[in-house]
Amino acid sequence: MTSGANTLVLPIVLPLLGAFLLPLVARFGDGLARALGIVLVVVNIFLGWTLWSAVGTEAAVTALGGFEAPLGIVLYGDRLAALFVAVLAVGALIFWPRAEHGGVKAYTLTLLLVAGGSGLVLSGDLFNIFVFYEIVAVASYGLAASSGDKAGFGAALRYLVLGALGSSLVLIGIGLVYAAAGTLNLADIARLAPEKLSGTTGLAAFLLLVLGFGVKAELFPVNTWVPEVYAAAPMRVTAILAGVVSKLAMVVILRLLVLVFHDPAAISLLMAVAIVTIVAGEFAAYRASDLNRTFAYSSIAQLGLVALALTIPATAGILAAIAVALHHAVVKPAFFVIAAKWRGPLAGLAGGARVAPAAAGLFVLLALSIIGIPPLPGFWAKLVLLGGAFDAGGAYAFAAAVVLAATVVEAAYLFRVVARIWQPAAGAKPAHFAFSDLSPALLLGVILIVATLFVAPIGTALSGAAASAADAGSYVARVLPGRM
Amino acid sequence: MIGLLDTLLVLALLTTVGLYVFGANRFAGYIGMAAYAAMTVIVVLVGQTLSGGETAVPSAMAFTVLGYPMTWRIDGLGWFFALLTTGAGFFAAWYMSGEWNEAQPNKRIQHGTLALNVLAMLLLVSSGDFLSLFIGWEIVSWAAFAMMTQLGGPAATAALRYLLYALAGAMALFAGILIVRSATGSFAFEDFAAAVPNLPTATKWVLFVLFTAGFGVKMAIVPFHLWQAPAYSFTPGASSSFLNAVSARMGLFALTLVLIKLMGPALLAGMDIAYTWFDARSALLWLTAITMIVPTYIALMQTDARMLLAWHGIGQGGYMLLGILVGTPLGLAGGLLHTFNYATYQMALMLAVFAVVHRTKTADLDELGGLITRMPFTYITLLMGIIGLAGLPPMNGFVSKWMIYKSLLNTAQPLLLIAAFIGTLGTILSVYKLIHNIFLGQLRLEHREVKEAPLSMLLPMLTLAGIGFVTGWMPGLALSMVDIAQSALGIGLQPHHLGGVDLPNGSLNMLWVVGVLIAAIGVGALIFYFLGNRRWEVSQYDNYAGGHFLSADVRYHFSHEFYPGLARVIGPWYRGWVVKMERGLQTLVAVLGDLSGGVFRFAHTPFYLLVAVSLGLLWVGLFGKI
Repeated sequence: MTSGANTLVLPIVLPLLGAFLLPLVARFGDGLARALGIVLVVVNIFLGWTLWSAVGTEAAVTALGGFEAPLGIVLYGDRLAALFVAVLAVGALIFWPRAEHGGVKAYTLTLLLVAGGSGLVLSGDLFNIFVFYEIVAVASYGLAASSGDKAGFGAALRYLVLGALGSSLVLIGIGLVYAAAGTLNLADIARLAPEKLSGTTGLAAFLLLVLGFGVKAELFPVNTWVPEVYAAAPMRVTAILAGVVSKLAMVVILRLLVLVFHDPAAISLLMAVAIVTIVAGEFAAYRASDLNRTFAYSSIAQLGLVALALTIPATAGILAAIAVALHHAVVKPAFFVIAAKWRGPLAGLAGGARVAPAAAGLFVLLALSIIGIPPLPGFWAKLVLLGGAFDAGGAYAFAAAVVLAATVVEAAYLFRVVARIWQPAAGAKPAHFAFSDLSPALLLGVILIVATLFVAPIGTALSGAAASAADAGSYVARVLPGRM
Repeated sequence: MIGLLDTLLVLALLTTVGLYVFGANRFAGYIGMAAYAAMTVIVVLVGQTLSGGETAVPSAMAFTVLGYPMTWRIDGLGWFFALLTTGAGFFAAWYMSGEWNEAQPNKRIQHGTLALNVLAMLLLVSSGDFLSLFIGWEIVSWAAFAMMTQLGGPAATAALRYLLYALAGAMALFAGILIVRSATGSFAFEDFAAAVPNLPTATKWVLFVLFTAGFGVKMAIVPFHLWQAPAYSFTPGASSSFLNAVSARMGLFALTLVLIKLMGPALLAGMDIAYTWFDARSALLWLTAITMIVPTYIALMQTDARMLLAWHGIGQGGYMLLGILVGTPLGLAGGLLHTFNYATYQMALMLAVFAVVHRTKTADLDELGGLITRMPFTYITLLMGIIGLAGLPPMNGFVSKWMIYKSLLNTAQPLLLIAAFIGTLGTILSVYKLIHNIFLGQLRLEHREVKEAPLSMLLPMLTLAGIGFVTGWMPGLALSMVDIAQSALGIGLQPHHLGGVDLPNGSLNMLWVVGVLIAAIGVGALIFYFLGNRRWEVSQYDNYAGGHFLSADVRYHFSHEFYPGLARVIGPWYRGWVVKMERGLQTLVAVLGDLSGGVFRFAHTPFYLLVAVSLGLLWVGLFGKI
């Protein structure tokens, strides 16, 4: 193994090892376990960064144990994977649990989530993708239930049932692919797909995979767990699940679309699912009764946007998907931080601006960005998405029109809240934010503003990542040299 | 290199930051005045460069994001609207410099949002491509929202309604610019202008509708007009006057830019609507005619002075767009001149009304009256303002309306001319109600001690009214500015002189008109003072109204349900179908929201998964390739 291979293996292995060791370390003190977890997450950020800088346009590939593809286990690290390894670790770092959030159990589960998530985006074959997807799933069920109250257990149980069904759909889908193509290596499947997977079997496999991964990716109609879990789970968990974990499933769908499924019918299926997801999410958010649910539904709609972006052909679509996903990963956790303090009916938020001016101001900034008001990053993400849609024309233009109309609904429910916050308080005042309560959101707000200032270089970097992620030929050539 | 435009934008930015920080200071009004005056001077310098033969003054500011370049530069058209913006900012700051400022609890917000709006508008009018235009457009919309929402309560409700209209418009615009980019490969104005004649008819129509709707929302063209009057009226005085004078005109600027400069009236006239005798241009002209008439008669029915004027603002925007869409040099000059004229008299009117509100704490037309004895200078401002609004000589509103009427006659569109006349008739009736209910008749008991507005508020009002008179007397002054704007449109200039315009079939020379008018008034005064019977002064309480003689012991002012006869005749027209459409849309969104929310509340979540898988597999079986 080369040093390049280390950056592929370590982001998975280190947190996994850490997750097993933490309960032992915790015997010497909770603080030590917490510190070790944080160190491992920081190392993952560093590894993601190293991978990003190392790979450029040529992705890093490593065959574990020296067994070459397509038989061996392959890890594939391009800039897209590097980005999400880093983003997941940053999210985990910002929302790292404290002792009162469940202590070592929470640390372990979070590290498990980081390990599984990194593995999910780095895996080069379907079997490992399934394994890591399950690790992520188990970790998130545990975290979702970690609030320890009745509502939390109920929501987590429902999440578990749906997630387990989703996983079995994934497994059936993978089985169909294996039956048709005879291999689980993504590059090998990509090579064989035009011949073996272009028919009904391929389409059925795609349907099952999309619905299966769609449970995590919050796609309609398998996303019914979302509002309940996000309302009941601890804020730190909600922020990571909504902000990052949902996107990891999208990365898998992205890989499948780029490498395996090019059938126009498959694309239209995903597009229909995406449009319904957007509409259902935004409209449900319009009638949501509290901030947590509002943001949960809004999160569904945003993932619908990511899915829609994935259907747009060529690099433009992938760039849009990455941009929307990254933007959402910054904005939505910050929203949930605010929602954690401002619980209860929306009417109770009157007077919020007076009690907590920083939170109110941040809310406006986040709302403006998620609606897509220039020059904030959300605007550029929407610009790439809608620009790609209008370039593609036809049904995409219709989808773009839906997105634009949904944006107005989005503005309606977000700024209704803003107007409420600025009204004088009637009755009990909304909660005050201590600096430590708001600091994760403030940090994300600063990231958002910095991203606004550096939108040009960020755009260039993401375009590069999108271009290499869209290059199926290079994926196959890197993993299976000499087989093209 | 830092040029004039950069200096202007940097100054506007510094003003915004400075006034937000120091806005609570008692000298904030003066700081604002100085800043806006300096900006106006820079704009004038830009104008000199432009009239010296330059087509545009560029900015050094330029970005390239994701391969899309964004540039800023100001041409004649943008310059004209920039001048209106900084000028209106100056008068608003002047109004806020003295007593007004001291009375406000939220000075900082008022000063800060005013500066922010000026900055946003300057950015918008100096945009150099569709992308920077969209960015400017959004910033203008949100800056206006910040200004409107500050007082909370009904103001916040009205502002939120505005926001949704504005955002819907912005989304139409967003779609428009993206379709432009898909069709032409860039966001550049030049590429669009070059490519648009060869675009498919369907694309041209889509773009026409999207841009007209997007920009039209800001101008409150019917049926997008419901938001404007309440949103403008509930904003604090000077800010409200600023919004009334120039904010909606940003829509006019953008419509003129896209429809006239880039697409061109000839192209629009060539886009026929099948089975009718309409084309894109004439259809929009008729929409404009409706916009002139309907809001004007809604204004007539208002009982709040601010709402009355704001509703007229919508109708007046119709006149401007009408002239511009006529597309001849005379029509364009008339439309643009009306924009300038309207800014002067509407701002004077709003400031006067807010002076009354400042003193009496009410804008309710049923609770005022007889204030002429207490606030004579405010009365004079309002009188001069309504003469301008009604389009009568010697004020400037007459000149621009005359030019618009004349352009309709010259292009053989008598029906539109009649529509314009109907609008003007409503305006005259309505403004009489305004001045009568506030200033004429008997003074109310509670207003006996009301004082005239302070000098800091009177001076900007009277100066604006004075500008309205001088540019009515010598319209050539304003028409030279219109020339700079018109030269950017490529349709030719309207020759003019100091007194007006010379046309082969009937000219207008205001030097003569005003001269004759003043002479006639002089003759009348001579007769009144020196001939006929002796005259004596009558007490304000010893006059009559509606055929009733009144005496000083009973105070009476006829104001409630003004024009009952007219209201009976046209009342049934106010069916409010647009209001019903708006409510219907709200209900639709709520129902869809409940449906969507209901899906998520449904407890048997795995059931959905089963249904989705079954239906999906059915679909795969039916439509998948074998």
